[in-house]
Amino acid sequence: MRKKHFIFIIILHLIPQLGTKVLFGQTKSEVHRECDCFIQGIVLDDVSKLPIVGAVVLIKELNKGVSTDAKGFYKITNICQGKYTVIGRIVGYEEKSYTLNLEHGAEQNIKLSESELHLANIDIKAQKIENLTQTKSTLENAALDQTRGQSLGEALKQISGVTTLQTGSSIAKPVIHGMHSNRVLILNNGVRQEGQQWGSEHAPEIDPFVAKKITVLKGAAGVRYGSDAIAGVIMLEPEALPDSTKINGEINSIYFSNGHQIITSGILEGGLRKIFSTKNPCSFGFRLQGTIKRGGDISTPNYRLANTGISELNYSLSADYKIKNWVSDIFFSQFNTKIGIFAGSHIGNVSDLTEALKRGTPLAIYTPENFTYTIGRPYQDVQHNLLKIKNTHKNPNGNLSLTLGRQYDFRKEIDILRGDKNLVQLFKLTTYTSELLFEHKPLFKLLTGSAGITGLYQENLTTGTLTQPRTSTVLIPNFKNFTAGLFIIERIVKKQWEIEGGFRYDFRHLNVYRIPRGTQSVELDKLNNENVTGTLGASFRPNARWNFLTNISSAWRAATVNELYSDGVHHGAASFERGNENLVPEVALNLSLTANYISKRVQSEIHLYNNFINNFIFLSPTGRPALTIRGAFPEFFYTQTNARFRGIDLSANFQILKNISLNSKFSYLEAQDLTNNQPLILIPANRWENTLRYEWQKTTISLTNIYVFKQNRVPNKIIFKDIPASEIIFSEFGGDFAPPPPAYSLWNAAISQQFVIGNKQTLGISVTVSNLFNSVYRDYLNRFRYFSDEIGRNIALRAKYSF
Amino acid sequence: MKRSLIPLTYLMISLLLFISSCKKDSVDSVEENELVTSVKLNFSSGGTTQTFKFADPDGDGGAAPIVETINLKANTDYTLTIGILDESKTPINNITDEVATEKDEHLFIYTPSPSSLLTYTYGDKDSRNFNVGLTGNVKTGAAATGKLKVQLRHQPPINGKPSKDGTATPGSDDVNIDFNISIQ
Repeated sequence: MRKKHFIFIIILHLIPQLGTKVLFGQTKSEVHRECDCFIQGIVLDDVSKLPIVGAVVLIKELNKGVSTDAKGFYKITNICQGKYTVIGRIVGYEEKSYTLNLEHGAEQNIKLSESELHLANIDIKAQKIENLTQTKSTLENAALDQTRGQSLGEALKQISGVTTLQTGSSIAKPVIHGMHSNRVLILNNGVRQEGQQWGSEHAPEIDPFVAKKITVLKGAAGVRYGSDAIAGVIMLEPEALPDSTKINGEINSIYFSNGHQIITSGILEGGLRKIFSTKNPCSFGFRLQGTIKRGGDISTPNYRLANTGISELNYSLSADYKIKNWVSDIFFSQFNTKIGIFAGSHIGNVSDLTEALKRGTPLAIYTPENFTYTIGRPYQDVQHNLLKIKNTHKNPNGNLSLTLGRQYDFRKEIDILRGDKNLVQLFKLTTYTSELLFEHKPLFKLLTGSAGITGLYQENLTTGTLTQPRTSTVLIPNFKNFTAGLFIIERIVKKQWEIEGGFRYDFRHLNVYRIPRGTQSVELDKLNNENVTGTLGASFRPNARWNFLTNISSAWRAATVNELYSDGVHHGAASFERGNENLVPEVALNLSLTANYISKRVQSEIHLYNNFINNFIFLSPTGRPALTIRGAFPEFFYTQTNARFRGIDLSANFQILKNISLNSKFSYLEAQDLTNNQPLILIPANRWENTLRYEWQKTTISLTNIYVFKQNRVPNKIIFKDIPASEIIFSEFGGDFAPPPPAYSLWNAAISQQFVIGNKQTLGISVTVSNLFNSVYRDYLNRFRYFSDEIGRNIALRAKYSF
Repeated sequence: MKRSLIPLTYLMISLLLFISSCKKDSVDSVEENELVTSVKLNFSSGGTTQTFKFADPDGDGGAAPIVETINLKANTDYTLTIGILDESKTPINNITDEVATEKDEHLFIYTPSPSSLLTYTYGDKDSRNFNVGLTGNVKTGAAATGKLKVQLRHQPPINGKPSKDGTATPGSDDVNIDFNISIQ
């Protein structure tokens, strides 16, 4: 993944038009090589199939480039034989690269410059990109294949600066630069994911198999993607739909030894061209995709964990229709999951928790000898549906697109109840999103950008009907949420510089229908918030080796319903959580600087960030017990402070020998509560990951070590001044129940082999062993660290067949 | 049909599909998550019954619970029965009955402190001959004051395997309260 990213950067550096000089990769003139070959083709927009004028096409190795003409045509001549990488690039589009062999057979062919052997015809299909000055990390191809079968959160751990907040081993939420849940925006196929993301034990309701590419944008990205993207954005994108009549497909089969998890996922796609006998080119493409996952109880190195099975059934259908300058596409996906929650984590109150902590190892009844796929109580049962309809119209001034989305999220949390009653926590969330986007063509030949209007309407139902809730003791009340936004982003490209700026206005209207505690009548609370966010960034390329990106962005987020109105025991967490109706929106200002250095043997990236958050909303312990009939629970209040998240993400790839490379990733984060002058609670520990990779032809062998430091930065005092010291009981670990676990080191090993079968069929097989030495460890950001060890050795067998 | 109308028709159909997928919804099945608001201890001796109550009528949080002090005579034998109720419902939900039907996965534990306050003897057994504690005998000691902790351990089976083993260890607390007790 990192490597991919670096290639992308290399490309950026080598554009001759930007005045860069050849620093490496220049072919020496060789006596026996023929240099009359040429490459030609057309650069096309991937969606509209219209030619792109003025795109730069260059040969990476030679640093030789041309621009496309009015018909999108290019021709690069006088090339010697050899293996080359051809790159297509234009502002506003993503770089595309192709590798080809310009070969030469016998001597008599020397002069035959038009010979097939010498000629390559490459049509480059470019895709639009949205942002240039913010740091992006992408997971695709081989790197993504290596994560197949894992949850979205687990897969994203590959990216430095991204960790997970876990509840056991099956529920993982992505954490970017120490922040998660509502501060991380997930764009699933262009639509912002609206599930139950407020809960720390609510994993994203997404099947990663839908995506062919997962991109993480680190840092506040409020302007383009939604004001609440304080920590960053995760984008899941499928491949563009085909428009040829050929039927293509892919089958992934995965087996994980730990939990005997079996996953099968398939894709079938095809298309039709010119369904009408007309001069207008039109085409139709479709894709069917589905995933089945079944896993049983997982094991730690020393014992099995009861009721930790998982079952998933997901599918998606997509189709598009292109005619002239119109593109319409429709996408529907359904995600169903049932996740068992470790039986030994069910606790009644803080004394149960203390007992569990004292024991260290779960009781024998929770660590059975016998393996089972059965999922008993407690468990989560979640369904998420997404329907997306997008229409794009291309006109001489630019592209106008309208994206409509509907999501329905249905979550059931089934606890261990008396008499096997079917009393459950139910959350039904329906969301409608819309975005009207206009991307204009370059103005004055240097200004490109886009402007858009977005809207969101949401209804959450947990009791009764929307406006008539029936009970008062629900975790989150019924609500109706309406948000609207308006934004514009423009960028200028001049020689080695690219400058980007934009701003956004957002408005939120929230209606909350609830029965306040101890009353019988429904109360309607209306909340309105509005704010402006901005972004300004620059990219500078002094030469072919260096690239500097700097960005300053703001984002804001109004308090969510759970932060405002929680009032009760959070089971499993053994905490009594109380919201605060007076919370004001939090505002983030993120400053980042990225430097990329590329040479033939070294590719490296350093990313520095400093994210100030005014009125950062978080859950803080009061240190006193809340007395209930089930016993005492430590009390937590939602409160606000000024926070600072600053850190460094480092990554580097060293080509030690021709076939051997070393990849090193390091992430350091320091999150400080500035108001109370102490570290913030639940911040991921620093990590250092090293991979040694050996590549020979189509075989790759790698060995990875992950070292996770102990989190020494934990709060040490209770921040609520008005709570008398005499009432504070839980103060030992700054309100936490146990100190952070010690540092740990894990080894992973992988071997993969690619086979080419017949014409276009490929088969990829890999064996990956995680936690090679079956090490016993616990992670600070896993809520189950109080109860059990982390997952033990896990051998994954993966087979991917593409046809 | 004119070609240029095709995308437009498509748009209209998709919009129609989109809107028709909305419907009014209601959540009916949700009840409060097995709320317990009150625990009653009935001490009977010589034909008279005294009842002491721990009540938190508004559930967890909100107003603090009301706890009555247990007043018992010294060196006396009492029959102790326990009642667990959800008084926020009309009619009142008697959870004692549910516990009685599921004896095999419930255990009451009575812990006096200091332990010399009283001695508790279980008066009932479940199908696997483990104690339950819905009814039992209390023999008070000499005059003193202290606390009586009352716990209800919920010990449901794990994947069909019973977890109740006669001890307090498995499961979780459904009730965990402290009464002040005064023996005169």
